[in-house]
Amino acid sequence: MLIGRRPKTTLLRILLLLALCGFTFKFILLPIQVDGISMEPTYHDRHVNCVNLLAYHWHEPQRGDVVTIRFAQPQPLSAPRQMLMKRIIGLPGETVAFHNGHVYINGELLPEPYLKNECNWEHAPIVCGPNQYYVVGDNRSMPFENHTQGRAQRDHIVGKVLL
Amino acid sequence: MKNGVRLVLLALAAGLAFWLWTVLFPSPEKLVLRKISQLAATACISAKDSSLARAGKATSLVGDFANDAEIVITATEIGSRTLSGRDEIREAALGGFATLSALNVQFMDTVARVGADQQTAQVTCTARVNDGDSKDFGIQEMRFRLKKIDGTWLITRAETVKTLQ
Repeated sequence: MLIGRRPKTTLLRILLLLALCGFTFKFILLPIQVDGISMEPTYHDRHVNCVNLLAYHWHEPQRGDVVTIRFAQPQPLSAPRQMLMKRIIGLPGETVAFHNGHVYINGELLPEPYLKNECNWEHAPIVCGPNQYYVVGDNRSMPFENHTQGRAQRDHIVGKVLL
Repeated sequence: MKNGVRLVLLALAAGLAFWLWTVLFPSPEKLVLRKISQLAATACISAKDSSLARAGKATSLVGDFANDAEIVITATEIGSRTLSGRDEIREAALGGFATLSALNVQFMDTVARVGADQQTAQVTCTARVNDGDSKDFGIQEMRFRLKKIDGTWLITRAETVKTLQ
């Protein structure tokens, strides 16, 4: 028998499981699909992943974290449908600069083992505000101006990419 | 038992009445959001649309804006561009619709805030735009300001918002 000897209990279990899945994938782990190449080679186009929405509930985002950043504020109790996926390289109050393709934080070279491609980005120092994080993609093969990057407000950071 | 059935029926009737009320007398937020989704639908053109249909859509699109409306677009490729008044908006829409083979516009994560005077509103959303069936698309945070003019919500300002500073 597919439904077991106690159909009522089976039905209840199915409903509970569905409710648990619904809650988990709406409020804890948000499923996402990568669209674009700005996080290559770490995350490929069409790659499926999850965002941990509770990651920054107890502590603040850290350097090196890959996060999702919302555009507009969605309705209460609903997750944004479109987000940016970027890596945090600069923390609040820090100065971020690009010289010869390398990142300098407060004038010191930032080791970035996750980068696989060389680039020649140059950009004058930018100071992050008290609630701002500097975010950038891992794929820096395109010109600096064509890569979406910059300072994200803390309240725009939705969560940390899980895998 | 009879009372239980009566109670259920009463609850159903109350629910139906409430639903009817919201349909017949929508809140200002709903009206504003409806206007924005109507704008997105009007801005979509398919490759099959004739020149006449496109011109009609451009005219219809302009109808969603106030006479003195402003559109401010800031993008890496074009810099900052401002369209002021219905005539400039119509011209830009006609030109754009004639040039593009197809256009698909979606406004997502829309949130409407109506002012205390109930005569002005602001909508923030994420615009997703692509040229028809193409896989490539552009994403842009947008902000709209609307005003109730002669009983109709019209857009007075539409602008792009820079998500990353």
